[in-house]
Amino acid sequence: MDTKLLAGRRQLVNRWGQDQAQPANVVVSPTMTVEKTQVHCLRCDQRTSRAQAMLPNDQYYCPKCLNLGRVSTLARFYHVPEPNQFYPPADVLAWQGHLSSLQTRVASEVKHSMANHEHRLLWAVTGAGKTEMIFPTVAQALQRKERVGIASPRVDVCLELYPRFTAAFRVPIALLHGRAKESYSYKQLTICTTHQLLRFYHAFDLLIVDEVDAFPYASNKALLYATKQALKPTGGLLLMTATPGKTLFEAVRRGHLQVSYLPLRYHGHLLPEIHCHLCWHWRAMLNKGRLPAHLLFWLKTRCRSQQRFLLFVPRISDLGPLKDILQRVLPHSVKFATVYSNDPDRLTKVQAMRDHQYLFLVTTTILERGVTFPGIDVGVLGADEPVFSSSALVQIAGRVGRSAKCPNGQVHFWINEYSRSIRQAQKEIRTMNIKGRRLLSEMSAL
Amino acid sequence: MKCLLCNRPIYWQVPIAKLFLFGPLTPPRICERCRAKFQHYMGPFCPCCGRSSGNGLCAECRRWQDQYGWVLHNRCLYHYNQAMKEFMHRYKFVGDYRLRAVFHAEMQSFIDRQQYDYLVPIPVTQETMATRGFNQTAGLIDGYDGHLLLTRAVEKGVPQSAKSREQRLQTPQPFKLQPDVSLDHRRILLVDDIYTTGRTLYHAATLLKAAGAASVSSLTLSG
Repeated sequence: MDTKLLAGRRQLVNRWGQDQAQPANVVVSPTMTVEKTQVHCLRCDQRTSRAQAMLPNDQYYCPKCLNLGRVSTLARFYHVPEPNQFYPPADVLAWQGHLSSLQTRVASEVKHSMANHEHRLLWAVTGAGKTEMIFPTVAQALQRKERVGIASPRVDVCLELYPRFTAAFRVPIALLHGRAKESYSYKQLTICTTHQLLRFYHAFDLLIVDEVDAFPYASNKALLYATKQALKPTGGLLLMTATPGKTLFEAVRRGHLQVSYLPLRYHGHLLPEIHCHLCWHWRAMLNKGRLPAHLLFWLKTRCRSQQRFLLFVPRISDLGPLKDILQRVLPHSVKFATVYSNDPDRLTKVQAMRDHQYLFLVTTTILERGVTFPGIDVGVLGADEPVFSSSALVQIAGRVGRSAKCPNGQVHFWINEYSRSIRQAQKEIRTMNIKGRRLLSEMSAL
Repeated sequence: MKCLLCNRPIYWQVPIAKLFLFGPLTPPRICERCRAKFQHYMGPFCPCCGRSSGNGLCAECRRWQDQYGWVLHNRCLYHYNQAMKEFMHRYKFVGDYRLRAVFHAEMQSFIDRQQYDYLVPIPVTQETMATRGFNQTAGLIDGYDGHLLLTRAVEKGVPQSAKSREQRLQTPQPFKLQPDVSLDHRRILLVDDIYTTGRTLYHAATLLKAAGAASVSSLTLSG
């Protein structure tokens, strides 16, 4: 067994046929504890009733984290403490770009904080350039021979981060996610999905979690626990998001988390605000083959002026009728596509949108974060439905005006009624803009 | 209650007729959408392997007939389609033992209609038992007292599921009969999870027949 692959990880090894003595540095530990009525999985920290988790012959398994390989009382964990034997080159950072004065301020704050291994929240608006801002922090950690992990709940985000980091750093990087073909390899810098963190144990000196408020990380206790386990007890943790939720605010308020704000985008413009339009029974209209008048007007003006946009809908089942209507009412020269999560052509359609082959995409919440199309508008039909949480709405609104060339754009919602999340999203954007304006005036005063 | 396969909530309304029949109320374990992905075998069946066949014995079973001079009477419940493949993967190889409940009702209703003396699930090797933790076949008929008449020797090399068709057919006898069991004029019902070539079931059946069993029939979940 290669002990190097076990460093900082916990691997499940069956008891069967493992009677011979272990290498000296391997720590063997149990996988589960059996309590009176429940079993407790030591990988995902979740409890299951004994009846649910039962195997024959008084053995138990954890049904909660099955996808990462079954944890059962038939196996044990093998773990090798992280040795930190890395030999990074002297100039790890190959990145030549430069940060704006605002970004530099936040970046150095984060860098200093991570040198002291603090736990910190980086709250930066959508399109603030978070990835570039953490480059100095990551470079510092790599030079100090620390093991660095960058995790995100979304595979798409990981796949987007990987090429950016390989271009920016002169160290080999491991990319781990559920659909990956190549197997795990031991590298100083690891980019992975948050689910993969469940396999690590006291591995990282610096762990950066991007988009902490995204599904499924935010509400998933197992993943929060995984983060804690993957980090060394003395390690530094940096959480990044544009839309921190209640629990993070609470942690900040109680002083468990330090916080850094960046209320302005990298180009120094404010966030676009949300415009709402009431239109009752839009779904019934849709099913009858009609569109709300304002939406139709909005679509037609954009088609006429060739303004690119994204149109979000709450359900996959809304895409079909909407597509039929749009094909009827819009001129035939207008090219568009519908995209949803299980769409076989999902990636090619998004790429085609990037290549300006489509004027617009109609989509569900899958494109809410991590994708950038320069100079677009955004519309959301039925933004009051529960699938659109306030953070999702802020993220959707944040798709607009991300490039320095066209920093302005419009965000329109068509709704049956005002929901709490819409109000919350509007409030969050307004608050950030107030902070942003203050910062702008401070800067101009300097 | 959530669907064991897709984890969506199941909305189940107890049929009124059921309320008046004083039987146990068993809520469904998987949702309608997942249920619809599994495909039942519809007649006409091949009397031997239990899979669809237009006219009597299928070509494969004729080969068994030639080889042994008798055929096994197998009943196969579901097609081995994509959904079943995924189910088997999750149940056997991922090891989600809860999934044994998914087809429990179908297996039960078939077994209850049969006349047999011994209900014999196909055994697994000791190693499988120690790593997987359960016998998938015995799990499917959970609640019945399966008679463990057979034991399975340790397989050398590749498991059955990783072999090609020809390799499967050449598998040597993996089973041994438990010592001092008498099967004189006993009727045996064998149970297995998947019927692929029939090799496994024929091996088991030969052994049982040689020990004096009056009849051997079998039930498989899929094939």
